[in-house]
Amino acid sequence: MALFEVRDLAVSAGGVPLLAGVGLALEPGEAVGVVGPSGSGKTTLLRALALLSDPVRGEVTLRGRGPADWGYPEWRRRVSLVAQRPELLDDTVRQNLARPFGYRTSLGAFPEERAKRALAELGLDDRLDQAAPTLSEGQQQRVSLVRALLVEPDVLLLDEPTSALDARAVRAVEALVTRDVSERGAAALVVTHDAEQAERWCDRVVDLARFAAGEGGRA
Amino acid sequence: MPEAAGAVPLDWLDLVVATALVLVAGLVSLALQVRVEGKLALAAVRTVVQLLLVGYVLHWVFRIDRPLVLFGIIAIMIGAAARAAVARSGRTFPGAHAGAFGTLVITACATTFVVTGLVIGVDPWYRPQYVIPLLGMVLGNGLTGISLCLDQMLESLSDRRARVEMELALGATRWEAVREPLADAVRRGMIPILNSMAVVGIVSLPGMMTGQILQGADPIEAVKYQIVVMFMIAAATSAGCMLVALWVYRRLFNDRHQLLSDRVRKR
Repeated sequence: MALFEVRDLAVSAGGVPLLAGVGLALEPGEAVGVVGPSGSGKTTLLRALALLSDPVRGEVTLRGRGPADWGYPEWRRRVSLVAQRPELLDDTVRQNLARPFGYRTSLGAFPEERAKRALAELGLDDRLDQAAPTLSEGQQQRVSLVRALLVEPDVLLLDEPTSALDARAVRAVEALVTRDVSERGAAALVVTHDAEQAERWCDRVVDLARFAAGEGGRA
Repeated sequence: MPEAAGAVPLDWLDLVVATALVLVAGLVSLALQVRVEGKLALAAVRTVVQLLLVGYVLHWVFRIDRPLVLFGIIAIMIGAAARAAVARSGRTFPGAHAGAFGTLVITACATTFVVTGLVIGVDPWYRPQYVIPLLGMVLGNGLTGISLCLDQMLESLSDRRARVEMELALGATRWEAVREPLADAVRRGMIPILNSMAVVGIVSLPGMMTGQILQGADPIEAVKYQIVVMFMIAAATSAGCMLVALWVYRRLFNDRHQLLSDRVRKR
């Protein structure tokens, strides 16, 4: 049984069908790239997988169980979406990272040491007490990634996770995510417009053109 | 009301003199080319027509001794207030009117009837002379609070939905994700009444109290009434803001803890 499975999924945006017949299986330790031209439904797909909005049809399972079996908040902690635009609270980096540990779904106390290590690995040493809004966009993007890593999701859904980063930071993010998912037996689904990055970083790459709905697509 | 000396009755000539005040303001506007004289004239006419109408209506309403007719009038007042509350907000969603109406029915009626029945002890508790003006004050303030709260809540859940969805994406329940925007919206709706409570008596004398004093009432008695009214308005506004925010929450999240921000429409 795959860690995470998507069967015959269809999504639309504003009533316009974007993708149909999406099938996908993620194995533990895997990073899978998702490429496609802009407007092809990459972000919509990730939102549907996180169940932030409903797909038109189709089925998603994590360890063989559907979202209703896990409970929707628990599903979203385990299948966690990191949006392209970092969304941080008007508070310190520490408070931002600790936020999910105040939720009912979260386990245990805020792992401050792990947070420090992850930040340091991404070039953000000693930033825990800095006010998040004073960080640059690239720094915010990394903080938002670390925040998701700390809740230990089974599947990380990353939407253009390095769009605001320089080359060195890009490599650091790739290395951290790859190591995190392989150590924990989790998986990552990485949306990127950069085919080269997808080839370099991911174990395999899915081209959404295959699943385009409507004209030219299979639906 | 305590022994009032009664206000000096005004005859129509007195109103003409008062009109001269507005005329002077209009002339000043003309002289300085501020060009508000047209609006001022229209506003003055509206003031006269609306107040005369309401005077005649109240003249009739105060004689009502059938609760059913009174409740019909109350329903019309609340309906108008609910419409105004929703119309003043920059955004709306399906169910906004029902929510505002229900909220005002519960909060305005509860506070008004507690005051007439228990605090003032009017007999019968629905005596229109007390119920209608008190309800009017509660509704006037309540609708301001509700529309501010509604606007802020809907902005948080549409324009700033990324913030809410960030929390959902990390495993928050819908309640955990909405808690802070909801508290912000309630605070926003409470600002006007909190401000007026903070400065009442220092910066301004409330209209009702002024009216009672002009009527010859003992200022201490007028103040007691005003305290009751302020507390009544504060209670109704805070409860109204919370209820309407909870209503938005119920309507814009589903059981799958998804935010349905596409239900929100800008006007």
